[in-house]
Amino acid sequence: MSQEAQPMTDPGQEKQTLKFYFTPRQALAGELDQKNPHAKDSTFQPEVVEALGERFGDTITGVTEYASEHTVFVEKSAIVDVCRHLKEEMGYTYLSEMGTIDRFTEEDRFEVYYSLVNMQTQKRLRIKVRVDEEDPVVPSVVGVFRSANWHEREAWDMMGIRFEGHPDLRRMFMPEDFEYHPARKEFPTLGIPGSLPLPPLVSDGKLTLDPFPRAHGELPED
Amino acid sequence: MLNNEGGFLTTSVDAVVNWARSNSLMPMPMGLACCAIEMMGFAGPKYDVARFGSEAMRFSPRQADLMIVAGWCSYKMAHAVRRVWDQMADPKWCIAMGACASTGGMHRCYGVVQGIDNFMPVDVYVPGCPPRPEAVIHALMDIQEKIRNEYSVTMDEREKGAPMRLEHGDIVSASGDVIRHVAEAH
Repeated sequence: MSQEAQPMTDPGQEKQTLKFYFTPRQALAGELDQKNPHAKDSTFQPEVVEALGERFGDTITGVTEYASEHTVFVEKSAIVDVCRHLKEEMGYTYLSEMGTIDRFTEEDRFEVYYSLVNMQTQKRLRIKVRVDEEDPVVPSVVGVFRSANWHEREAWDMMGIRFEGHPDLRRMFMPEDFEYHPARKEFPTLGIPGSLPLPPLVSDGKLTLDPFPRAHGELPED
Repeated sequence: MLNNEGGFLTTSVDAVVNWARSNSLMPMPMGLACCAIEMMGFAGPKYDVARFGSEAMRFSPRQADLMIVAGWCSYKMAHAVRRVWDQMADPKWCIAMGACASTGGMHRCYGVVQGIDNFMPVDVYVPGCPPRPEAVIHALMDIQEKIRNEYSVTMDEREKGAPMRLEHGDIVSASGDVIRHVAEAH
């Protein structure tokens, strides 16, 4: 783009007491430099990010600051060491949440994020790991944070990311014999006919594989 | 009617059995989501479903004869709901409470059954998100109305071996021979 990207703002913003900030894609370049007036300093901690960079060097692949929140990108091979270091040396004892993002890109399609909390200093830190679609395997952090157990099971169930070293990596929500990972972007929202059988309508009958066959261009069996 | 002089009453067996059944429905609370909160209000003192004889929620399917499916039902849960329904003794009735149990409601997605009638019979559908307890009481009254209009005993006797019975529009003898065709089967 030749013209400089301007931060997009709502025209009515001047009159609003609480301004609404949003992040459209083409305006992200300008937004990155802006300060978020609603940001809390609990997410802003350059000294921790710096210390992590010194300790782990190249395995920290990047640090972004957006809306006064720090995000540390880590190589997937180092995620367990980073988590253990943060927990045992730097006081981030609480994994408040962890989840996955499907970026739907050619490279590094999936993203696993970890939100850590330091209870003493009341600070928060976000760590991200990116993995490819061909090899969606991330080392499990259950050995460091036991609360990651069910989060990782959910990530496996919904997004299909396997966690190496997880003690019990079963599906969390969907039936055990379900073949898909429904949070992936290519999965149709209305499901795949025949993938989730319903109980039979009559006793000793057959399972109902598709309750709406006509909607899918097929005739009912009887 | 009964009085101090040792009175009596006459009625048909059907009427007295239906009267007893309809005024002592024991609901099986299949509370799956937020509708279950309204179902609690329905059973609680303010709306007082005890007036209709249904205040005793039975958490054992063997003791229940009315299943209230309250809330959205996932494909995984459908097998459990169907199993509980199969464990309930006949005669039994079912209320699909709320938009989600009736049609899937706002959950137009891969995980939620688009209406519980895809895997079990439903007698009354209650719209609403969630329905107010009055609506559930109305559904219960509809079920009572349905019960009072049933041939609860005489039909059983006919099935067992009455000399002749009506079957698919034919008059059929006890041995199963068609004696005469009387009407088109519905």
